[in-house]
Amino acid sequence: MGKELEEILNRGVKKIEGVNNIEEIQDVRRELIGKKSEINEVLKTLGSLSPEMRKDVGIRTTEIKNTFIDKLNKKEEQIISSKSVLEESIDLTLPGNKVSSGVLHPVTQMCYDLNDAFLSLGFEVFSEDDISSEKFAFDHLNFAPDHPAREMMDTYWIEGTEEKSKNERLCLRPHLTGASVRYLLKHGAPARFVYPGRVYRNEDVDSGHERAFFQYEALIVDKNISFSSGMVMIQTILEKVFGKKIKVRMREGFFPFVEPGYEIDMECLVCEGKGCKVCKHNGWIEIMPGGVIHPNVLKSANLDPDEWTGFYINIGLERLVMMRYGVNDIRYFHSADLRFLSQFK
Amino acid sequence: MKISLNLIKNFINLPVELTSKQIAYDLTLRTVEVESVENTAEKYHNIVVGKILEVRNHPQADLLKICITDIGEKEPVQIVCGGSNLYEGEDVVVAKPGAEAVWHGEGERVCIKETKIRGESSYGMICAATEVYLDKFFPVKGEHEIVDLKGIECNPGQNISEIICMNDIVFEIDNKSLTNRPDLWGCYGIARELSAIYNIPLKEIPKINIDSSIPEYKIEIKEPNKCRRYVGVEIENVYEKESPMWLKAFIVNCGIRPINAIVDITNYVMMAVGQPLHAFDRKYVVGEQIIVRNAKKNELLVLLDNNTVKLTEDDLVISDVNDAIALAGICGGKKDSILPETKGIVLEVANFASSTIRKTGKRLTEKTDASIRYEKNIDTERVDQGLSMALELIKELFPESNIVAYSDKYPVKTEKIVIDVPKEFLDIRLGKVLSREVVEKILKALGYEVEYKNEIYHVIVPVWRSTGDISLKDDVMGDIARILSYENFKPMPLSINIEHAVHQNNVLLERRIKEYLAFRCGFNEIYTYPWVDEKYLKAAKIDVTSSVRLSTPPAPELATLRNSLVPGMLSAVSDNLRYYDSFKIFEMAQVFEKGEYHESSEDEILPIHKKFLTGCVVDKNAKQIFYEVKGIVEEMSKYCHMETLSFIKGEKPTWSDINAYLNVVYKNEIIGSIGLLSVATMSDSKIKRTNVAMFELNADKFVPFLSRTNEFKHISQFPLVEKDLSIIVNDNIRWEDVFNEIELFVKEVAFVEEYRGNQIPKGKKSIMLRVKITNDEGTMTLDQINNKMNNIIKILNKKFGAELRQD
Repeated sequence: MGKELEEILNRGVKKIEGVNNIEEIQDVRRELIGKKSEINEVLKTLGSLSPEMRKDVGIRTTEIKNTFIDKLNKKEEQIISSKSVLEESIDLTLPGNKVSSGVLHPVTQMCYDLNDAFLSLGFEVFSEDDISSEKFAFDHLNFAPDHPAREMMDTYWIEGTEEKSKNERLCLRPHLTGASVRYLLKHGAPARFVYPGRVYRNEDVDSGHERAFFQYEALIVDKNISFSSGMVMIQTILEKVFGKKIKVRMREGFFPFVEPGYEIDMECLVCEGKGCKVCKHNGWIEIMPGGVIHPNVLKSANLDPDEWTGFYINIGLERLVMMRYGVNDIRYFHSADLRFLSQFK
Repeated sequence: MKISLNLIKNFINLPVELTSKQIAYDLTLRTVEVESVENTAEKYHNIVVGKILEVRNHPQADLLKICITDIGEKEPVQIVCGGSNLYEGEDVVVAKPGAEAVWHGEGERVCIKETKIRGESSYGMICAATEVYLDKFFPVKGEHEIVDLKGIECNPGQNISEIICMNDIVFEIDNKSLTNRPDLWGCYGIARELSAIYNIPLKEIPKINIDSSIPEYKIEIKEPNKCRRYVGVEIENVYEKESPMWLKAFIVNCGIRPINAIVDITNYVMMAVGQPLHAFDRKYVVGEQIIVRNAKKNELLVLLDNNTVKLTEDDLVISDVNDAIALAGICGGKKDSILPETKGIVLEVANFASSTIRKTGKRLTEKTDASIRYEKNIDTERVDQGLSMALELIKELFPESNIVAYSDKYPVKTEKIVIDVPKEFLDIRLGKVLSREVVEKILKALGYEVEYKNEIYHVIVPVWRSTGDISLKDDVMGDIARILSYENFKPMPLSINIEHAVHQNNVLLERRIKEYLAFRCGFNEIYTYPWVDEKYLKAAKIDVTSSVRLSTPPAPELATLRNSLVPGMLSAVSDNLRYYDSFKIFEMAQVFEKGEYHESSEDEILPIHKKFLTGCVVDKNAKQIFYEVKGIVEEMSKYCHMETLSFIKGEKPTWSDINAYLNVVYKNEIIGSIGLLSVATMSDSKIKRTNVAMFELNADKFVPFLSRTNEFKHISQFPLVEKDLSIIVNDNIRWEDVFNEIELFVKEVAFVEEYRGNQIPKGKKSIMLRVKITNDEGTMTLDQINNKMNNIIKILNKKFGAELRQD
């Protein structure tokens, strides 16, 4: 009887080892430990055995059954864990599926970046219409009556109004600054706001010059502030664009709508101020004008210059994008060329 | 403008340790932008005097000679040269190996090397004037002539820069940064700035007093508002001759061509103090009298440059008793310029008003070094400096000269501006409290007179800054700040009064729309010009009768300002089709039409502005892109938080297909359209082998919700049963009607697909739709589901004659 049991065990174990798939395992399970299995047959004969034998055979039979169960489970686990959801081979080097999304114009992106930064400083966003009048584009901004920018050659005047003057002479705005007076007339002071937009100049176009381009201007008007507070606005812009603190300097500059006026330079990022081709060997790159709002401009906005003062900065958005990404030709921005635009995802 | 450091040093004693680089930096930060600093000797490196000892024929070339030349080295060297004027004993200019020269005066600078020319070795080259920047000193006479230094004291090996006195440092200043500073259009003004920056004294220009016994030269100023002062000095025994080298060098370094000693003196004085001068040949001032008057209508004048100008009564001229002899402040006349036969001159040192110079100069497009300076508005006292300096130089260069007549007519004097600057104002605006000593020292160095009383600086502005530059206390503050240098002001934090958060829903809405189109719908944003090409206006069949136009457009066909973004889209599609078959683009921008609109004040009448949002999907499959665009517009309101956009079929957009278009409705108003581009529009825009679905909306109409308005709906605890249904109906049955009918009976109904084809009888179509049904009381049984579906089919059959599709 003992010998028979051991043979059942050996045969069973071999069978389990020979199993290769999950269907076979069910068959073998039935065969080895099912109702009609050899081991079950042995158990059925237990009653006919002597009490001592019954005990020994009983114990051994149960042990063998447990061995089978154990080995079958292990085998099943082994088979499952070696199974793939795929029926065929997979080339892991094939490219992943592309996420298909469009892209905002790089100028819009830059503008939104700056809006976010200025919003955190409590600035509002304002926009002015594209067509303005000589009154708002020049007169209010302390431009001399014979300033060259008022000439036909520099500004796009609207047909039928070019020979008129002031409020009746209309143009595609040549700069954003006129919007500052519009805002102040509407909302009064104190004020802090940005007013991004597109401006137009009658110029010859080349890789560095465009007839239509985007500017970003910010103005703060308050009582008793010093021009040195304007530095914060400059740093806000540059930190946002370049992701780190950038060394800047202000130097003397002249613009009709500010007094004093500045040119603002940033340290050349390519050579870190040592001097290189990019900065024409002087270590600094001119990036924006700025200055203290001129008393005459405040007067145009019905504000008392003895009470109020303020600080402007103005920066070309294309210029910033060009510096951020190394774009070498400003004409791309109005080209609508998707080979250019789709790079800025 | 170019500034000579040598001349600056005549006016101030700069500390020896101060480098030119530092001067450039300090000027840039405090006064004007220095664009470059040039050591004028540098480009003459290794260019020396040579003496030709022997000239031999070149064995291989008829036009070349071999010159044995002494260049101050141990042995004479052999140089091959093609010059036409070579002779033994000639002193020439030799570019030694290592020098830089411009071949035949054209193209880039190249480095000279020792080489072989047609088999003969050549140690450098014997130069023509244009090859080594000498043409302004030694004007070129013949085509192949090299520089002959005959008559000039020189030694072999001597660097040529010594011969021509090129030992200066020249600062090139950005003219743009000088527009408001007439006082800086000469070296003396820059010297004054440096004296303030470095706190060193500025030397005065000695004033020459003219003997009162000298007879009067007759001068009549008829327009005292245009000519505020006129000094005329008649001088004899001055004539045309070359200037000494030092003067030529100065003139060249200022970027001007030396002409003759008289003209060079006038240019020197102008570059030194910014006061233009003019010298007339006295023989041609008919009647020995100068009249400053308005030109007669159509009066003709031949200018120095041979240009004949026709004048108007607005133009100011210098005239003798007969005719105009010069265009005041702009350009001298041809007739009385300095010529070889000149024996004496009338020297003009005058002051003209900026507006008249600018007006005339602009009309005649005449811009000269003199007019540029007058345009900036020079003060009347500068005449004294110019006159004194000129007379001194004339005496130096023409010791035999004599003043024979003189007159100073001075009808209008530049008045000095007086300003009160409260100390408190300075303290606040500078963000820094400055001592009285510091303030006074800076202002006095710049020429201000200052008196401090009762916490107020009473300031008298120097006359050279009183012509428009300084008029307010802010201007005075600016002067103090810049001389201290902005580097020395620390950024001050901005204080914030928080009353409310910035809450600008309109700004947000615009951004949401753009981000929806780009990030969710896959559009690329573009910007196009506001002026549109007529070609695309015609292609889109856009009515331009109320369009706004430019008076001087970038090109004749670009005069119309857009009233729709569609033409710009067409151009962008056409361009991009060269590289892409299928893409999506959009633009949001203002469009214009004639009308009346007041943005900021009643008296300002602007045309109507509208902000349009226009986009298109480009692909071959016309129907698919039509529905894609429809979906994008339909869903926009949901993602962008505004009221729903819906559609009706009304007026056809000019650019759209005859069938495939819809008008877009927002708040019961038509605000735009969608549609496929018409065959004609595509063909006129050169859009080929594809289709374009366009949408154009007036985004000004959009009103953002004050906040999000999503609404929570109770989630049913019983499962929804989803069933697909395919029906066959007549081709003219509209989905909208089917939808409206079923909607009442089910939880949700959705369109899946439409099909016409082989399996479907002609004139019919199959519609597949998906419904979701549920029962609020419990899970639906199979019977309940079947009953409901059968009911739906029955209704569809009754209403639309729909049959269940059997496949």
